Amino acid sequence: MLKKGWHEDITACMIGLTVVALALAVTWQARPFTEAGIREQYPKGWPTPLAQTVGKPGAWVSAPQDAFRGKTGGIDLQPILLGMGWIVLIGAAGTVLGGRSLGAFLPGAVALAVMACLAYTLAGQKTVKYYNLEYPLWALAVGLFVGNAAGVPRWLSPALIGEFFIKTGLVIFGAEVLVSRLLALGLPGLMTAWIVTPIVLVATYLFGVRVLRIPSRSLCMTLAADMSVCGVSAAIATAGACKAKKEELSLTIGLSLFFTVIMMVAMPPVIDGLGLDPLVGGAWLGGTIDATGAVVAAGETLGKEAGEVAATVKMIQNSMIGLIAFAVAVYWAGWVDRDVTRPKGSLVGEAWRRFPRFILGFLAASVVCSWLHSLGPAASLWVEGATAGFTSKLRGWLFCAGFVCMGLQTNFRQLAPVLASGRPVVLYVIGQSLNLALTLAMASLTFGWLFRKVVEP
Amino acid sequence: MTTFTSSQAAAVRLVSGAAVTAAIWCGLLPQLLRLEPIARHVALMEERQVDPSAMYYTELDRLPLRPAWIERVLVLWPEGASAACYTP
Repeated sequence: MLKKGWHEDITACMIGLTVVALALAVTWQARPFTEAGIREQYPKGWPTPLAQTVGKPGAWVSAPQDAFRGKTGGIDLQPILLGMGWIVLIGAAGTVLGGRSLGAFLPGAVALAVMACLAYTLAGQKTVKYYNLEYPLWALAVGLFVGNAAGVPRWLSPALIGEFFIKTGLVIFGAEVLVSRLLALGLPGLMTAWIVTPIVLVATYLFGVRVLRIPSRSLCMTLAADMSVCGVSAAIATAGACKAKKEELSLTIGLSLFFTVIMMVAMPPVIDGLGLDPLVGGAWLGGTIDATGAVVAAGETLGKEAGEVAATVKMIQNSMIGLIAFAVAVYWAGWVDRDVTRPKGSLVGEAWRRFPRFILGFLAASVVCSWLHSLGPAASLWVEGATAGFTSKLRGWLFCAGFVCMGLQTNFRQLAPVLASGRPVVLYVIGQSLNLALTLAMASLTFGWLFRKVVEP
Repeated sequence: MTTFTSSQAAAVRLVSGAAVTAAIWCGLLPQLLRLEPIARHVALMEERQVDPSAMYYTELDRLPLRPAWIERVLVLWPEGASAACYTP
């Protein structure tokens, strides 16, 4: 008999928001007695006891066991096993609330957690790690390899709830999108990031749909958001908002990481070669390279001032994820997926029916945490401690498990015609070229001229 | 001629794939790290505590400093926004 359970989006919201509330409550309970508002004392926010429950494999060179060494140098599996345990626990909660069988879920969930750990270990090898080949790529690769080499055994299938893991991870991720923190990074950076990004996003999407005539609008939107906002994290959020297929998200992530590595390595020497001002060059890096870590890495190569500006512009772009995911969800529900045969009066109701509810959980976490963060110095360290110390690592495990599931279930044959045409690559290259040109112009205008006197060291 | 059952063939594919992965990750990639430009890049990143694989700013080992001009012109919380209410 079929059991009735909650809708997946509602379950993701409930569990994600509960995790965020738990993180805030535990961090508050363990708050420091002295100097609670001094940032120099707590540069990454208040320490949270929950950090001990969610470790992940570290960096290594040639011996993979080094990924499991603790601070003392010995093998310390406990935090990593607990991190894997969160996947099983959250997946189990989602399974029960969704009305599915817990007994059928558990054996596969353990295997899924092991594969997620393997993906993190592959991502921790130093050559891979320091060239920005992020864990989602290896999680997809592990899933694709296992799925194609051995197939998906029957006992594993009930644990393949990748969309649930990614939706829950996104709701938790909302707590890290602290608009109050990111808006406090100055007008020149805001202008560089917030004017160019929407223009590039819309232009790339329209170019893909109208000029290149890529049949999937959701692929165009995911690719455009990834390239214009902030890489993989934006791709995940937007793919959820426009209900992109998992093959489309996988393709976008692969393309994005490939071009990010090239840009991270090539742009600093190009900036040097062009003789650009370090501040303008830094802003250019921050506005164009997809991934946050890669921006900081490229910026540091250029020098301290350029690195600071690059990171600032990128962090402001980071703050746009929530707004863009919400706007895309509204556009998709109201226009792209609209059923033209239905009477006009029901348009709003129809749009609401199709709207991905977990985006509201993501926004709720972002709004509440941004508000708390804006209350004062101590409150800001409270929120940052809870997010940097716990929720960011936990949603990393959930994304990793989600991508392993996607790899196991991905059927690239569906995308074969589009891939063979090369059009997604053309779209990425043209969109990124527009991004490079517009961002350079805006960075020269803001950091090179309008605010020059303010930003000069 | 030896013939494999489908489960044996799957096991062979898994083991061979794992062996190739181990050879690349434990053999080839560590060798690449010895190449001068790559070694220089990794050393610089480690020295500056930068994690290029961070997907979002909260994953960075060390949050980047705000440029000095922002600190000069921006007052996030006015004097007197005391932390007292947050201490027990």
